[in-house]
Amino acid sequence: MLLIIGFIGFPIALSLALTLGFTGGLNQIIALIGQGIRPADHWWGTMAGYQALFSDPRFNGDLQQTIIVTVVSTIVVLVLSLAIALIVRLHRGRIAQLLGAIIVVPMFVPVVISAWAIHTFYGGDGFVRSVAALLGLQAPTLTSTMWAVIIGSVWTSLPFASLLVTSGMQSIPDALIDAARDAGAPMSRIVRTIMLPLASTQLIIATTFTSIGILGSFTIPYFLGSNQPTMLGVEISNFLNAYNRPQQAVAMAFVIFVFAAGIAIAYVRANLRGSATEARA
Amino acid sequence: MTEGTTTMADTTPGLRLAALTKSLGGRRIVDSLALDVHPGEMLALLGPSGCGKTTTLRMIAGFLSPDAGRVEIAGRDVTALGPERRPSAMVFQQYALWPHMTVFRNVAYPLRVRGVDRHEITRRVDEVLALVHLTHHRDSRPAQISGGEQQRVALARALVQQPDLLLLDEPLSNLDAKLRVQVREEIRTLQRSLGITTIIVTHDQDEALSISDRIAVMHDGRIEQVSTPSELYARPATEFVAQFVGSVNSYEGVLRDGAVRPGPGTIAIRPEHIEFRLEARDGALPAVVRSVVPRGHFHEVVLEREDVTLRAYMTGRIPDEGTRGWARVQQALRYRDGHLQEVVEGQA
Amino acid sequence: MNARRALREIGIGALAIALMAFILGPILWLGAHAFATSWTFPRLSADGWTTHWWHEVFADSALAGAIRTSLLITPVVVLISAVICLPAAYAIGRHSFPGRRLFLIGMFAANAFPKIGLFASLAALFYAMNLMGTVIGIVIVQLLGTIVFMTWIPASAFAAVPRSLEEAARDAGASRLTVFRTITLRLAMPSILVAVIMSFLASFDEAQGSYLVGAPNIYTMPTEMYALVENYPIQVAAVFSILLSVPSVILIGLARQHIIGGRLAEGFQIR
Repeated sequence: MLLIIGFIGFPIALSLALTLGFTGGLNQIIALIGQGIRPADHWWGTMAGYQALFSDPRFNGDLQQTIIVTVVSTIVVLVLSLAIALIVRLHRGRIAQLLGAIIVVPMFVPVVISAWAIHTFYGGDGFVRSVAALLGLQAPTLTSTMWAVIIGSVWTSLPFASLLVTSGMQSIPDALIDAARDAGAPMSRIVRTIMLPLASTQLIIATTFTSIGILGSFTIPYFLGSNQPTMLGVEISNFLNAYNRPQQAVAMAFVIFVFAAGIAIAYVRANLRGSATEARA
Repeated sequence: MTEGTTTMADTTPGLRLAALTKSLGGRRIVDSLALDVHPGEMLALLGPSGCGKTTTLRMIAGFLSPDAGRVEIAGRDVTALGPERRPSAMVFQQYALWPHMTVFRNVAYPLRVRGVDRHEITRRVDEVLALVHLTHHRDSRPAQISGGEQQRVALARALVQQPDLLLLDEPLSNLDAKLRVQVREEIRTLQRSLGITTIIVTHDQDEALSISDRIAVMHDGRIEQVSTPSELYARPATEFVAQFVGSVNSYEGVLRDGAVRPGPGTIAIRPEHIEFRLEARDGALPAVVRSVVPRGHFHEVVLEREDVTLRAYMTGRIPDEGTRGWARVQQALRYRDGHLQEVVEGQA
Repeated sequence: MNARRALREIGIGALAIALMAFILGPILWLGAHAFATSWTFPRLSADGWTTHWWHEVFADSALAGAIRTSLLITPVVVLISAVICLPAAYAIGRHSFPGRRLFLIGMFAANAFPKIGLFASLAALFYAMNLMGTVIGIVIVQLLGTIVFMTWIPASAFAAVPRSLEEAARDAGASRLTVFRTITLRLAMPSILVAVIMSFLASFDEAQGSYLVGAPNIYTMPTEMYALVENYPIQVAAVFSILLSVPSVILIGLARQHIIGGRLAEGFQIR
């Protein structure tokens, strides 16, 4: 177990030190070959690295796009997975079964391939534009825009979210729904007042995992996004490899981490609430 | 502590608990408990939930080690041994059948882990499965058979070990009422014919009264009384036993001339020991029928007298509500400081 | 009433079909390219069909090498991950010890840290330890992605094994080790299998870190994809994509009922 902590925790601590300008120890080599390193000037290090980052318009553009993509994709994923869960839970026909089986497919497709498949599907001479052209329409090329990144993020995140939400919905006993029906509530109201609250823990977990995943994603924006602005995941890699500015790269990672940590707190709360309810039951 | 059957006194007890003590979470659950169980006897450990009976059972089985005291099975001190090295076998409350194994494999497991020869395993398992009438479910999974059948598999798994001591933890609590009576009789018959010393833990007095040779009533980590079922019912040694086993009307005071009068101690009267008739007679006091509740093969009748209100069980002709007549106490139990002083017999 | 109902049925059907098209469309489109001679915009079908690209992939030593590397590294990663994580999972699932919840939250937090940032700092470490461009480096990087799966899913499975089942086995005469082997482990096995599969996929598909650490010395199948996309015709990338999906598809078959059964979802809750 200590090994696990060491594996993940140690590099993170080390890189936090780097962003604060500590260039000694194991950070020595990277500090030597990297450019634009701001060294520590206080006992706790320096904020200069972060200051430089936030005054860079390029970073701010990236940050903005990252947030927009994350929020939009997460909302779409949630809405779709809710729809899927409701179809599977309430409809129960052949088509619902098939949908339930198909929807998990992207989970088993390597991200690189997902990205590439979506690229060819929505790209300049892809399926979408082909169909449009045959119908005499001029469809936009979505690749290299934010929209392709959103489509890709939704595509890759949907299986996990809908599995979670569906299992949440499936665990609601029929009796509770029947009782509400018996009380004369229309389906829309039952969904809103009975099913959503009862599946709220799973919904929150789905939201966190989806948003955290998209926040730090690399492959999808790398293949599908524009060059500038791009998402921070890609930019970190650029700064690290192409521009050889490790301090900024890692600092960006910490900016993402701060956002992700915020989401993570919501997640932990939801979990604690979930187990508290169970303990009471 | 133990009484009756003195003829067994010279033989080694099937189970002996000596000064057994256990605290959990700062609370004394079992308090210097002593108990001898005769070989081949079926003894019920009866008590309300939280009385320490499950903790006691787990110490006998070896899942808990006592803070103090000894556990001896068939004359051997097993206090220091783990459950796997004790000559006891347990039937768990929820049966605890392994869902990934067939009925056969479940029953065979104790023999397999002991390294018994394969042919021997097959022979013994089939034998014990025949004993509990489950041969046709040999290759079923636990999830495929009924609750009563699962119970019998659990029993078979215990019996196949040929234990010196059989432990049954609320074995019937998960069965419906009808099945419970049937299984209870099956267990009793089997236990008698095999002659295994058996402890059955239960909170159900009917179960304890009907299945066991003797009953140990537990309360607050101590044993209140160990007696045969009929003795326990007729002469409950403490007020707690009187109230827990069967039902009593209980009053502060003493019985004088058939009436409850102020005085030291407590009077407990069983509802079936109250006789109501329309005519006056010796020891009977005027009474009014306040309510009548059918309880199956008898009726529960609430009688109001000038001294006390009595709950009586009546059969035969049942008076209507509001009927006036005479109620007499045929037998009462007199307690001082919670302990039985005497059984007061009214005139026949 | 009936008309409204029919309308709703149609609506649900249309939505379901649209969703399926959204999911399957890109995959089928890419898959078709693997057998196409060439493709003229805006036709919906290829100009001709061929298996030429498949021969090309298998003949290309770099591509074949990447396949071999991947098939070699991934099982090693999964094995090491299991050896490290399963005892931890058992401890988390079965024992409550001070800091247990903190550990779970910490692990989750670490998982929330963007992978690419983690790799950046790992790169720093690897430079210092001379692990850049080595197989060990790649193994470590891929290991990181498997830890969450290999710990959480089995932990909740271990926690879910009823104590009485283990006690019954002890009572039946089995030692602690035998109980663990024959009861606990067996009952947790479906979840462990799911964890192994998820770890396998996570490791097999891992691209960013392996690229960072391995390139240009060692290429795995996914990292080779990056190069392919830029340097080869689209059909080759399509062929390679199909090859890359083969393990996943096989594993779907093995794990389908367990994963759809919600084991995965259960595994991600802190208890």
